[in-house]
Amino acid sequence: MAEAIQFLVPRDNVLARRLSIISDLADLLPPECLVHEARGLAPFETDAFIAYRRVPLAVALPRTTVQVAAVLKYCHRYDIPVVPRGAGTSLSGGAIPQEDAVVLCLSKMTRIIEIDYANRTATVQAGVTNLSISDAVGTDGFFYAPDPSSQLACTIGGNIGMNSGGAHCLKYGVTTNNLLGVKLVLIDGTVVELGGKHLDAAGYDLLGLVCGSEGQLGVVTEATVRLIAKPEGARPVLFGFDTCDEAGACVADIIAAGIIPVAIEFMDKPAIEICEAFAKAGYPLDVAALLIVEVEGSEAEMDAMLASIVEIAGRHGVRKVRECQSATEAALIWKGRKSAFGATGRIADYICMDGTVPLGKLSYVLGRTAQIVEGFGLRVANVFHAGDGNMHPLILFNANDPVEAAKAEAAGNEILKLCVEAGGCLTGEHGVGIEKRDLMRYQYSDIDLAQQMDVRGAFDEKWLLNPSKVFPLDGRIRAAC
Amino acid sequence: MQTSFTTEQLADPNVAESEKILRRCVHCGFCTATCPTYVTLGNELDSPRGRIYLIKEMLENGRPADAETVTHIDRCLSCLSCVTTCPSGVDYMHLVDHARAHIENTYRRPLADRLIRSLLAAILPYPARFRAALQLARLGRPLAPVFARVPALAPIAAMLSLAPVRRARTAAVTDPQPVSTPRRGRVAILSGCAQSVLDPGINAATRRLLTRFDVEIVAPRGEGCCGALVHHLGREDEALAFARRNVDAWIGEIEGGGLDAIIITASGCGTTVKDYGHMLRLDPLYADKAARVSALARDITEYLSTLDLPVLESRRLSVAYHSACSLQHGQRITALPKLLLKAAGFTVRDPAEGHLCCGSAGTYNILQPEISAQLKARKVKNIDATKADVVAAGNIGCMTQIATGTAIPVVHTVELLDWAYGGPKPAKLATSGRKDRARPVAAARV
Amino acid sequence: MLIPTSETDAAYIIRNAAGQGKRLAICGGNTRSGLGQVVEAAEVFSARGLSGIVDYDPAEMVMTAKAGTPVAEIEAALARNRQMLAFEPMDHRGIMGTSGEPTIGGAFAANVSGPRRFVAGAARDSLLGIRFVNGRGEAVKAGGRVMKNVTGLDLVKLLAGSFGTLGFLTEVTFRVLPVPPAADTLVVSGLDDETAAKAMATAMSLPVEVSGAAHLPFTVRHRFIGGRLPEGEATVLRIEGLAASVEARAQKLAAVMEAFGPVTRLGAADSATLWRDIRDVAPYADGTSRPLWRVSVAPSAGHQLVAALRLEAGIDAFYDWQGGLVWMRMEADAEAELVRRYIRALGGGHATLVRAPDRIRAATSAFEPQPDAVAALSARIRKTFDPAGIFSPGRMSGRGGAV
Repeated sequence: MAEAIQFLVPRDNVLARRLSIISDLADLLPPECLVHEARGLAPFETDAFIAYRRVPLAVALPRTTVQVAAVLKYCHRYDIPVVPRGAGTSLSGGAIPQEDAVVLCLSKMTRIIEIDYANRTATVQAGVTNLSISDAVGTDGFFYAPDPSSQLACTIGGNIGMNSGGAHCLKYGVTTNNLLGVKLVLIDGTVVELGGKHLDAAGYDLLGLVCGSEGQLGVVTEATVRLIAKPEGARPVLFGFDTCDEAGACVADIIAAGIIPVAIEFMDKPAIEICEAFAKAGYPLDVAALLIVEVEGSEAEMDAMLASIVEIAGRHGVRKVRECQSATEAALIWKGRKSAFGATGRIADYICMDGTVPLGKLSYVLGRTAQIVEGFGLRVANVFHAGDGNMHPLILFNANDPVEAAKAEAAGNEILKLCVEAGGCLTGEHGVGIEKRDLMRYQYSDIDLAQQMDVRGAFDEKWLLNPSKVFPLDGRIRAAC
Repeated sequence: MQTSFTTEQLADPNVAESEKILRRCVHCGFCTATCPTYVTLGNELDSPRGRIYLIKEMLENGRPADAETVTHIDRCLSCLSCVTTCPSGVDYMHLVDHARAHIENTYRRPLADRLIRSLLAAILPYPARFRAALQLARLGRPLAPVFARVPALAPIAAMLSLAPVRRARTAAVTDPQPVSTPRRGRVAILSGCAQSVLDPGINAATRRLLTRFDVEIVAPRGEGCCGALVHHLGREDEALAFARRNVDAWIGEIEGGGLDAIIITASGCGTTVKDYGHMLRLDPLYADKAARVSALARDITEYLSTLDLPVLESRRLSVAYHSACSLQHGQRITALPKLLLKAAGFTVRDPAEGHLCCGSAGTYNILQPEISAQLKARKVKNIDATKADVVAAGNIGCMTQIATGTAIPVVHTVELLDWAYGGPKPAKLATSGRKDRARPVAAARV
Repeated sequence: MLIPTSETDAAYIIRNAAGQGKRLAICGGNTRSGLGQVVEAAEVFSARGLSGIVDYDPAEMVMTAKAGTPVAEIEAALARNRQMLAFEPMDHRGIMGTSGEPTIGGAFAANVSGPRRFVAGAARDSLLGIRFVNGRGEAVKAGGRVMKNVTGLDLVKLLAGSFGTLGFLTEVTFRVLPVPPAADTLVVSGLDDETAAKAMATAMSLPVEVSGAAHLPFTVRHRFIGGRLPEGEATVLRIEGLAASVEARAQKLAAVMEAFGPVTRLGAADSATLWRDIRDVAPYADGTSRPLWRVSVAPSAGHQLVAALRLEAGIDAFYDWQGGLVWMRMEADAEAELVRRYIRALGGGHATLVRAPDRIRAATSAFEPQPDAVAALSARIRKTFDPAGIFSPGRMSGRGGAV
């Protein structure tokens, strides 16, 4: 298909030195930590944003911070772009390489370094998956709160790169609110430690800046995150509505009433059907929209909070309320929700949007989204974190049909512009990546962007780190000088 | 995911099927997290998603397999953990089957590799040959470390180390015969190949148990290896020959005295027999018959669950239940064996990381000794942590693999059930047996 | 003093100042003027002229206000809707002996966070979006008004806690939370510092959602809630939420805490006063300028730091944030070297000299000195915001520093 989004033009001088670069990298890494044959490189050409693909020059799979530093130092010296990668689950193409880049993939750095219950911290290597942190501390009554739907596979390093969110962020915050420290390797190979087991920064909040910087400022090799004591109990409850409008308005009213459940998730009919087919969680199939509201605490607490929510839902004509009866049932309900994107693959290819809007605009934006997608003759499924207005319209299309693929991309752009117009933003948790890069000007002025790019340049003045991402390719002049 | 096959390519029904499978993959990466080789090696190329990509490229280009691709496909255990995990419903099993056959047809392996594979294919499926080979292996055991030092010969070292120290006792000949009427069912039990040599006690226990519950057992003539071993080596023609032979044997019985089920006690075989319908779908003479056979195939625990066995009093013996991949991922049987054990009075414990393969995987522990040893160590550590009295599993491959790593005795689920419902105590649980069986971890590491 | 009344004015002033290399000491209400290094500037440049709530939608739990809006005005508007600033901004006037009105921009610029910080986040965690003027005189927007937003680099975090060295804040948008309908505080009495640290760690490992955990040793205990705390050292644990739930959790927590020492409950009114006193460091609002350190370390390290320092210097201290925030008043000298050496030895953290007599301020680095690589990075970052170096120069870096 004709690609709407451009990558940076590969540097000829880097491509020309391909063989010598590989042989140099081979001196820095053990053989099993370097991929350079054409066949082996192809599977690294994309992440979970598969519309775009670029085969990298080589893939480094370091085991240690020292190796990461060595590779970065080398690439810095010889002006070779570097694309950091965790598990390659980015939905915005954050880990898609480019032809002249070395992919620095941290999937071999999977050690949990320390669990410290007295200070409620876990220190892990960047390649540790999100879920394995909670798994490691679960039996002792703790968990790590941010829970992106890909938490089974995505790495903590990737989470930091994208400042990942998740369903339970409504109460516990996103990655940046749960991150205490990182070991960061700068592009010149310098290793710095930001934060630690203590709170707040001694100077500028570089930790806060690095979180969500999409691999543009450095490569995180270790992280210290906050652990939280598990609540006594948690109960997801399903609320079925006859229209998406009512469900959307109900969400806004719950929050307006000062009730903050742990999670409020929204699914429309197509999404319900998709998720039910995979998880068999018992979602009602005869409603137009479904809210999964999770409350937690003691039985009495959950009952009290639920009573208020049920009352509000009643005002919005809720048709079905189903309380979950067991832990197994709860697990299935969440399994279905968290597998929603992947399960969509059963019926069609899709691209997933990630705009956030103010809650009061939820119903309006849902309605407009449906119109936009219909206007392109496509279908849409909605499954998202309603409590914080973070929408995920999945635009369904056939990837083998170039015309449809182009339409899907165009519809997606329209939806994101709509989110910005409604007072929201382009991306709530998936990151800008390559996908939304060229839409940045809808949210920021040239001056806003120039300031961001200047800061980016302060970390990596040659713009070697993940250079095709986040910032529009034109207008990087001030930053480059 | 987008694919690019030509119309001519898609005329091949195998390619057409693979294309359909590939189209479902959305590259979400969930599968990587539960893949034993990715978890061990941390390389996308050793993950299901990476392999799917390698296979896609190979098939799209219609080119012969290359060394890089073969290396990573060979490292796949076919444990099918990814299939359980995949939200998109990617049928990885049939995709990798297709890839293996393609590799076997288009790729010339190094000599040592070819020899080992031919040797395995020529011996393992045939009980008499296998028995003889084990005799030799016992003699050859001391040489294992020598072979282990030469990378190309490491599989031989692995093979020698896996051979049981003692000869398996032959099955009791005094198995009771069905007496009472009306019988509750009429079944065939796959006698199989390797299991019958390594541990004939498993099927003996099965026969006793079923007989005790008034199930008539028949032994159709001509039945043999299910074909799984050669199937996973990519030797498709041989695999289909085995399948056809078994289909003939069972169809004869189905159309004769009738069969309520074909019982399989090695879940690795069960997964394959249940797939006969698919494997032979393109054979007009066999497609229907194979589908009928697959429809009747049952893991022993599936069949026992239909018999409503009485609930027994607790017997204060804790069992670490090892969920064989072919059972939990291949056949999606997860709870039944544990429910049966609990009903029979055992305390069942679930080892951590139960979804991860033990590294046995058919001939994998011979062909990929290094990764297999790492997975075994991880599995055994999790099993030992349960501090159970005994390990139960539903697959001979896992049993052999785990037993070489732990001091806890390893038995087949059905042996415990037979014992609980009136049969003899499994020999491995004899009071003195436990410490005797403690053996050092196999010297399969290179 | 320069007091612009619009963002445009501010940009104009800054552009001119940059052109002339005129240095500006940026502030809000100037209530924290003694914090950090002494700034040498031609002019004080205050945001107090930019005042007023711009947008407040209680249903969205989001407020936008001009940077110079008094915190008191904001808290009053929130209180009318039973909402609050979750990060409990500290009022520095007591300990600094300053007057004037703390502003919301100042609270964010100094990342001022109170007792709830260790569970609910710092000021920076509530801050969703900002407008500021950089040193080029350009009006820049960062962040937005929605809770989840990862669009571009998070300059919001960078500006929070930058003490007026990166930009002149003109407008802030932040998240607010409902006021918990009920709150109570358990007091565990008579614990030494080490046992108190254990007790607080235990409390935090229970599913009772403690939202405040402080330890008030014998020397300071009488300075809280008018001396009405029970006898002995007081380890205090706050619980908030629905009334029935607070009661249930308080009982559960008390049952566990009784193993450490006698447990009493304060009741809602005293509880509110107590945490305000802790927030504002009541014991050291003593009308003196004796050196006062604010130390952030791992919770388990706080009491160890104090124990170690006590052997070498005259100090008085109490703990917030489960022990991780230590307020230390020195008898005489600031002992910066000593304090910082022990912090490093105990696993790291940072110490800020919040108050000290002028001669000590002049000789001491108020902010924790950074490792070279981080300091260099910070200097480069500052340069991108303020190339001419006119914003509160030296405030965060001490003598000769680039920041």
